[in-house]
Amino acid sequence: MKHSYNLLLTAAVASLLGACASTPDTIEDLEVARAVVPQVEASPRAGVAATNVSEARKALDRANRIADSGGKLADIEYEAQIAARNAQIANEKILTAQAQEEIEKGNAERQTVLAEARDAEARRRSAEAQSAEQKAQMAEQRATTLEQELSELRAKKTDRGMVLTLGDVLFDTGLATLKPGAYTTIDRLATVLKEAPDRKVMIEGHTDSVGTDEYNQGLSERRAAAVQTALLERGVRSEQITAVGKGEGVPVASNDNAGGRQQNRRVEMIFTDNQSQVATDVE
Amino acid sequence: MRTPNFRAGLPLLGVLAFGVLAGCSSVSEVTKERVARSETSTQQAEQTVGRSEAGAVELQRAKDHLDQAKAALKKDNSRQAERHAQLAQLDAELAVAKSQSAAARKAADELMASIQTLRQEAARGVVASDE
Repeated sequence: MKHSYNLLLTAAVASLLGACASTPDTIEDLEVARAVVPQVEASPRAGVAATNVSEARKALDRANRIADSGGKLADIEYEAQIAARNAQIANEKILTAQAQEEIEKGNAERQTVLAEARDAEARRRSAEAQSAEQKAQMAEQRATTLEQELSELRAKKTDRGMVLTLGDVLFDTGLATLKPGAYTTIDRLATVLKEAPDRKVMIEGHTDSVGTDEYNQGLSERRAAAVQTALLERGVRSEQITAVGKGEGVPVASNDNAGGRQQNRRVEMIFTDNQSQVATDVE
Repeated sequence: MRTPNFRAGLPLLGVLAFGVLAGCSSVSEVTKERVARSETSTQQAEQTVGRSEAGAVELQRAKDHLDQAKAALKKDNSRQAERHAQLAQLDAELAVAKSQSAAARKAADELMASIQTLRQEAARGVVASDE
């Protein structure tokens, strides 16, 4: 650019002084041409104005020859002007080429900046999506925590869902009160149920065949209710829990021996895989 | 005897007149064509330059040279007509070149400014999302 400004300045000064140049000692037009022609010739972009550069050189050479051989001032001035104009045209073409190069680079840069802006936007969005995904994962984790907990509590997988059996030993004999030994299990279940509020559990009380049906039905209901109450006390929502008494009707072992009867005295907690199954069972 | 000799010498004299004394002889068609071509170039330059500043001075100079070329034609001054036509031609070209380079410079500067703005906006966007 400095190069070009010099050229313009030289040309401007020369054109101002040109009118006053009448002494053959210093011919302003010729001085201008001698200054500007080598400048455009030296430009690395001279190729964009090759014709003008070569015309400028030829005219300057003619002007120099006429001056050297003592030719007419008007002839020298004319050739010098031809040389200077061509050099100036070349200079403008070079400036245009420079600007166009900048535009090309600028367009590429603009694309880069745009791409960077889009990337930044994409990163921002993906960060948002990630945090949403994390929330979803945490929710899923809670769900799997219930499964893990149940499996650690030795729940059995059945076609009704995961079934956890609280044995007779966790209840006072003939009573519907939980022994402290049951608290650990109840605490763990309450914790996972609170973390998975969409999961439901059905509590079924069962007895052996000793005693009347009515008594057994009542006992089974009270024991189921006792577990339900314990869970509610620990903050589990009531919608998640259903408690029913099944009496002596659904034995899992023979009532003929003590061992079998003990197995039949139980509370089963059925956790459904999907949320609707318990509701269906209840109906 | 003088007349045929004189007539035979005419073409030679004409060539000499055209080559050496062009300024004093009657104007050739070639010269008229050159002036006409310069006029066309000047008119085209006027359209290109329009009302913009860049090239206005050169355009005016082209017009002045064209006027002088036409005046020289009327005076049968072929040499002056040729020279002014040539200078008008070059000034017209220079006017166009200046106008074009100014337009290209403006476009380049505007592009740079838009990139600058874009960068700032992008930076603000990143800062906003970090907050």
